[in-house]
This record gives sequence, structure tokens and C-alpha cells, in this order.
Amino acid sequence: MQRRVSLASLALTLLILAGCADPPTQQIQEAEKALKEAQQSGAAKYSADEYAKLEGTLDTLRKEVAEQDGKFALFRDYGKAQQLSVSAKADSDRIKATAAQKKEEAKGAAMQAQQVAEEAVKATQDLVAKAPVGKDRAAVEAIKNDVEGLKSLLKQVQVSIDKEDYPAAQTQAKAIYDMSQGVSTEIQNALAKVGRGKPAPSKKK
Amino acid sequence: MVFGHMNRVLASIGCALCLSGCVQAVPPDLLAALETIDRDLIALRAPETAPEEYAEFVRHWVSLKSRVDLDDDLIRWPWESSDLENDLRRLYVVGEHTVSQLHDRQASQHRTTESKLARLEDRFHRITSKVESIDGRILLGEQVVQTGLLVKQARTFFEQKEYQRAIQAVEQADHALAAQTSLLTRELGRYADDRRITHWRTMAQQTIDWSRIHQSTALVVSKADRELTLYKNGRKVLSYPVRLGFNGMKEKQFQGDGATPEGRYRITDKRGQGQTQFYRALVLDYPNAEDHRRFALAKKSGRIGLAKGIGGQIEIHGVENQFIEQTLGCVMLDNPHMNVLYEGVSLGTPVTIVGALTGQNAVALALSELEHHREEI
Repeated sequence: MQRRVSLASLALTLLILAGCADPPTQQIQEAEKALKEAQQSGAAKYSADEYAKLEGTLDTLRKEVAEQDGKFALFRDYGKAQQLSVSAKADSDRIKATAAQKKEEAKGAAMQAQQVAEEAVKATQDLVAKAPVGKDRAAVEAIKNDVEGLKSLLKQVQVSIDKEDYPAAQTQAKAIYDMSQGVSTEIQNALAKVGRGKPAPSKKK
Repeated sequence: MVFGHMNRVLASIGCALCLSGCVQAVPPDLLAALETIDRDLIALRAPETAPEEYAEFVRHWVSLKSRVDLDDDLIRWPWESSDLENDLRRLYVVGEHTVSQLHDRQASQHRTTESKLARLEDRFHRITSKVESIDGRILLGEQVVQTGLLVKQARTFFEQKEYQRAIQAVEQADHALAAQTSLLTRELGRYADDRRITHWRTMAQQTIDWSRIHQSTALVVSKADRELTLYKNGRKVLSYPVRLGFNGMKEKQFQGDGATPEGRYRITDKRGQGQTQFYRALVLDYPNAEDHRRFALAKKSGRIGLAKGIGGQIEIHGVENQFIEQTLGCVMLDNPHMNVLYEGVSLGTPVTIVGALTGQNAVALALSELEHHREEI
């Protein structure tokens, strides 16, 4: 009889202990922290769909914890919450790495486009410098003006890169490159004409 | 014995029926359909272009998927209704509607952006060509390439289906074009100013009268019409087209500004072939007393930097060779015309250079058209 009572109290204790489960606070905090880190790495921009799913997972996790918290202590089960927090943490780390990589790629592409644009403007500038002074200068005066404008525009590309707006930087650099090519062609045509004439001494005007 | 055997058979049949009657809580093709909806939304760039709608879909989708993955009620009796399946079906309907809405929205954005961009590009080309026609490119400085950059950026964003950014660039380019028009109106507005035109006409008329009274020759140059007219005894003898400095439409302010001066001058020297590199040249007395007075006043008021010079050597000349057809501030004629003019004038011949002689001059008309384009913006 005494042995039966002991077994029953042991079973009840075990049941109570098992029923008084605690939420996986640390894992949830880690998952929340990982989400924040993913967001800071640019995931919302560079892995927008995966980041949205991650936010969805965290939202489900919060709801699950709240649901379990609302239950009578004996019936709480944080197993699902635990699984969700572990999976959210793993996904956050993966998305963070992917976003960082994509961001680096975008930065690399923007910087490469910037370099190409700079080289094109420099080449155009060199072409202008080759133009004879004096009377012949007039033929390329308007073009020189444009080259000065292109040099200023290069600063805008750097501003976009500094603001981490790589798509804008890339489109700006591409436009500058295209315009430089256009101006270079114009200069070459002007130089082809001027080249056949003699350079004139500078005069007052 | 027989009954016992029958019971076992019936129990077996019952179990088999029950087991075969059990169905999965969520049909796999429903999950696959929702995966497709998600892929469609991503393909439509919903996460970037419609983040709220996508977040709403994804929140439900992730929540339901976690129930699918973790719930125990994966198998149910055929007569049991499944909340999970119902929720998934509802999400499918909502998702399908979102895809369709986004598709329509994107198509509409594509059309709107395309049309705005086409209008901008057309206006940009028309304004650029109008600016070229009145030699306004130098006047506008870096604004020309800055606007060009925005137009090109808008095109690139449009091709990348970044409609919002394309529209932003279109709006910025529109503002830049409006600013260009304002600047040109400010710098060249005098060509449309009645008082100024009346003043120029008076100057020209006085020169013609002088020609008549002194039974001599006189020249009048209209910058807006790019035309030189020779008068003899007060009568128009001939008119020739001319080219001006690279910034010729502006009022000359200082040395090297490429502007052609306006005022009353005289021919102080005639240079024949071998004496000038520009075929033949008629040297004018720029800067005269009036130019010096104006220059000093401009310097005093700070409109011209202290280091600037007034310039000089303004001539009416021919073309050095057929390949160099630009001048820095002079009045340039084709060589056959220069030949005739050279023979027809003498030292001391008055030369009056004015902006325009009528209100309907080329610059005023171009400015009016530019204003019209600005209203379109």
C-alpha cells in the first residue's frame, strides 16, 4: 500500500515538473539578435524575400510563445517554440551571410563601373588637352564645358557609393561612361578638322 | 467457432476500411500551389515593390507551414474538417489575388513610366536642339550633362524595372530642364525685351541715317539673326549670314568669354591676305570708351572679377580654312562674302552690332518655345 502511494506521488511530481516547462528564452533572444544582425547586414534589401520569411518565422515564434504562456502551467509545451527559434537562428545566420555577399557584389560592381567611368572621363579630358590653343580652342570650347560637367558628375557616383546606394552609383557611372564616349567622339571629329589646320597664336578677344 | 471467425474477418475489414479512409490533413498539391504563389510574388519583386503585401502573405505562409511541419494532426478522418487545410486554402485565394493585383500594378507602372520617360526624352532632345540653335550650351554650363545623366539614369532604371526610381529620375530631370529654361530666359531674356529691341533698332537706324547723310557705307550686324547688312548711302546693298563667338549671344563682359560685343564701332584696320590668318579681316575699335565705362562699372559692382581683362582684337573676318569654322567673339563670314565686303568698306566705316532688330528674332522665338515646353513639364 505504502509503495503504491510512493509511486503515485513520484508520478505526480514528474508530471508537474514536466508540465512546468519554461520558454526557451535564451534561444529566442539569440534568434531575435540574429534577425537584427541580418537586418543590419542589408538582408532586407539584398535578400528581401528570405528576410521577409525570417520575420514571418519570428512572428510565428512570438505567437507560439504567447499561446503557450497563456495556457495553464501543466499544459504548457515550448517544444514548437524551441524548434522555431533554432531554425530562425540558423536561417538568420545564413541570410546574413548571403546578404553580406550580395552587398559586396553590388559594391564591387558599382566600384568597377565607377572606375570605368573615371577612365572614360580621363581619356576624354586627355583628348581635350590635345586640342590646339588659340583660335582652334573655340571648336572644342563647348565640349570642354561638358567634360568639366562629367568630372563633377563623378563626385555624385562617390556620394552614392558612400550612401551604399550601389544601384544608383552603377546607373550614374554607366550614364557618365556613355556620355564620355559621346563627347570623345565629338572631340575626335573636331580634332580631325582642326588637325588639318594650323594652331593659331592666342589673341585677345 | 464460425461466429468467432466471422468476427475476426469483420474486424479486419473494419480496420482496413478505417485505415484506407484516413486522409492527409493537407493535400500536397495545395502546398505546392502556395509555393508557386510565393515564387510568383518573388518574381514580381513583391518583397521590394510591395513589402507590406508580401510580408502579410509570408507571415501567414510561414505560420501555416510551421503548423504543417510540426502539427500532429497530419492524418484525419475523411469526415473531419481540417482548419489547417481551410486556412491554407484561404491563403491561396488571398495570395492568388495579390499576385494578380501586383501583376496589374506592375503593368500599369510600366506603362506610366514608359510614357513619362518617352515624354521626357522627347522634351530633352527638343530643348537640347533649341539650346544648340541659340548657342546656349556654354551658357548652361554643367547643367546640360547633369540633365543628360538623369535622363539616362531614368532609362536604365526603367529597363531594370525599377519603376519608382525611374519616375524619381524623370522628375529630377524635369526640374533640371525647367532650371535650364529659367537660366536661359534670365541670360537671354533681353532678346525678347521690347525696350531693349527698341534701343537696338534706334542704334541701327542711326547708323543707316549716318550712311545716308554722309553718302557712305555702314554695317549693321544682328546677332540673333546672325546677319550682317551693308548699307550704302542709307540703302541696303547686301546681307550675309555670319557666325559669332562660341558664346556669341551673350553680352561681352570680359576677355575670353567668347561673347560678341554689342555697340557702335568703326573699322580701324583692314588686313589683307598674309596679314591675318583669317583670310581677310576688318579690325574694329573694341573696346571703345563706352565698353571701358561698362567694364569699369561691372568690375566695381563685382559682376566681373578683378583679375579679368576687357579683351580686344574684335574683327569681322573670313575663315582660316574650311575645317575651322569657329570664332572666339568676332564676326565671321564665308571667304567669298568676306572678299566682297572687304572691297566694299573703308577705314572709319561704322559697324553697329546689336542683339536683334525685331521682337520675332530667333532667340526670342526659341525662348518662347522653351517656355512652352516648361509649361508641358
